[in-house]
Amino acid sequence: MRRYLLCAALLATPVAAIAQSPQRDSVARADSIARADSIAIVRELEGQQTRDTTDRTAAQAGPVNARLLPDISVVGDMIADFSPKGSTQEGGQRFGIREVEIALQAAVDPYFRGDVFIGLSDEEGAAIEQAYLTATELPGQFEARLGRFLMPVGKQITTHRHALHTIEFPYAIQSYFGPEGLKGTGVYLSRVIAPFGFYQEIIATAVDRFGEAPEGLISSELPNKTLKGLGYSARLRNYWDLSEAANIELSFSGITGVREQEIGFEVDGFTAANRRQSVIGTDFTYRWRPLQQGLYKSFILQAELMQQRNPSSLPRFVESLSGDEASLVPVGNFTGGYAFTRYQTSRRTFLGARFDFLDDPARNGANTRAASGYMEFFPSEFSKLVAGFERYMPGAGDKALNRVILQATFALGPHKPHPF
Amino acid sequence: MSTTKFLLIAAGSLALYASPAVAQLKVVTSTTDLADIASEVGGNRINVRHIGEGYQDPHFIEAKPSFVLQLRNADVWAFVGLDLEAGWMPLLLDGARNQKIRRGGSGYVDVSRAIPLLDVPRSGVDRSQGDVHALGNPHYWLDPSNGRRIAQLFKAKFTELDPKNAAAYDANLKAFEAKLAAAERSWQPQLAAIRGKPVVAWHTSWRYLANYTKMNIVGFMEPKPGVPPSPSHLAGLIQTIKRTGAKVIIMEPFYARKTADFVASRTGIKVLILPPSVGGERALTDYVQLLKSDIGKLAAAVQ
Repeated sequence: MRRYLLCAALLATPVAAIAQSPQRDSVARADSIARADSIAIVRELEGQQTRDTTDRTAAQAGPVNARLLPDISVVGDMIADFSPKGSTQEGGQRFGIREVEIALQAAVDPYFRGDVFIGLSDEEGAAIEQAYLTATELPGQFEARLGRFLMPVGKQITTHRHALHTIEFPYAIQSYFGPEGLKGTGVYLSRVIAPFGFYQEIIATAVDRFGEAPEGLISSELPNKTLKGLGYSARLRNYWDLSEAANIELSFSGITGVREQEIGFEVDGFTAANRRQSVIGTDFTYRWRPLQQGLYKSFILQAELMQQRNPSSLPRFVESLSGDEASLVPVGNFTGGYAFTRYQTSRRTFLGARFDFLDDPARNGANTRAASGYMEFFPSEFSKLVAGFERYMPGAGDKALNRVILQATFALGPHKPHPF
Repeated sequence: MSTTKFLLIAAGSLALYASPAVAQLKVVTSTTDLADIASEVGGNRINVRHIGEGYQDPHFIEAKPSFVLQLRNADVWAFVGLDLEAGWMPLLLDGARNQKIRRGGSGYVDVSRAIPLLDVPRSGVDRSQGDVHALGNPHYWLDPSNGRRIAQLFKAKFTELDPKNAAAYDANLKAFEAKLAAAERSWQPQLAAIRGKPVVAWHTSWRYLANYTKMNIVGFMEPKPGVPPSPSHLAGLIQTIKRTGAKVIIMEPFYARKTADFVASRTGIKVLILPPSVGGERALTDYVQLLKSDIGKLAAAVQ
């Protein structure tokens, strides 16, 4: 079928143009030669290349960034929601700019690199998404970061939302961490090791808190009053090349910290209880991309399984006050995850699908499922259009929902590549 | 294990430890071409590995963690530059945590700094012009005079890092230059056949080879660098081919040839798959062979 479509696309215009009409000939010739196409660009560059510069090397031409400006880039992330029962976006809009991210990245001095990402959105205004120093000169091949960064807990969470292969994070990540993933402010230390001959990386962090501070909740004391209340995470990455075209990653992560949990009513002026919460998980990614046909073919299969772990009973003061009344404070363990796959169908087109499942702590552990399909189209490396359909099944007797979402993203300037 | 066996193994281990192999410079390059030229100059004094393969588009290499393992103990990281590796090199260098090969380190070798470049924009460029390299065309290794410059750069770098083997590097460089000069003499008849002949190229990667061979690139399959051919562009290109009498479309092995075959079916032009790098075909195991093969095939195709 693809072959027929390609032939039709190729034949449609050229065959018409080849019909020997002089007028059409001149139009076609103009397209190839005179307009700003590859040959015209090369001719223009040749014209600019004066004789005295032809033999100059790049080194002799002088520095390319004489003012030492940082790399500045902007990423726009726009959403259209055509879900039949109304918009499913947070603000209820049908068309919205989900986020504009401004990135500034450069070496600070011989010892540090600096990365700053500012997020701008209608819902949240301006926010420091990430801002961290990376120590580049540590002995023992350690890498340390200080500042705010994406938490290395699981696979997809280490990717900016606009760079996901799907439009939103999987529901398990949204539920256990947050709709925009998980960031932390603190220290990050990692080391690459290979004691068994394959790539391994150990990453540990200590951050001010596990998750963002909830708005409007008041607990008896700050969760980080003692060092035990900080957020701590660890991740072990394991990576193997199966062949020059295929590879797998199997990694394990965990995070723990004290979080304010909404108790659903007010007790002595407090609306939240401080409770330890942990999430442990494993993630698996299989990638295939033949080197010679890599522009046209690739395949990814990815899955993550995670468990949110909470104390098995309510805080005593909540239990005594609420009696049988259900509290919002999560109790016990909740498990969730997803499986995602993406296949490249042509140089610029990809098809993907994801299946989500989770015990939703916000719905007393109701078993929520979702199945979605995506088509990604990349006009170039710097723009992406995505169409997605999702069947969301919340469980616990609630009605299923169909969602239709379109996304467009674009990048201006030298945006640093995202982690593999 | 007997005492004698133990002593033999221990002595062997010590000998290995003291052998020149252990003292070899560890060189990692982004492409096979740089790896081969480095190997010609470094000989058995260096250990060379490369990230990309010769049959792979060097713009789109995946920054696999296994490459980080190659780079973390490297003494030299040599790359083409001019943003050819911009999509993957920063991740690998960050991952490697190796001060020697970071920018400013003793082993950070941007080879383009030694090359006189083509297609350097003197006025502003932007991405509406496609994947234009704002610092100049990075496919410079396809001109043998640049191959010579690359070898000279490697000789200087290896000598700086490993001065006790300076004489060996100098001798290896001279041998490489002599081999290249002999090859250049051998393909003069083919160059004469190619000179001035109109050809179509897929991407701007053949500009340096065209500059050397004096073939005349009259059109590109890509409407703009890095942009796949559109039907309207192909319609114009077909007219260009008919008008100029171009005899061949040259393209790399990593592009799908269906579109080129379509143009060929409309014009009678030949489609020639030319490896742009060492290893682009199994038999092309060194840089001089690559040039010899490409020039030979080109000369035959434009007859």
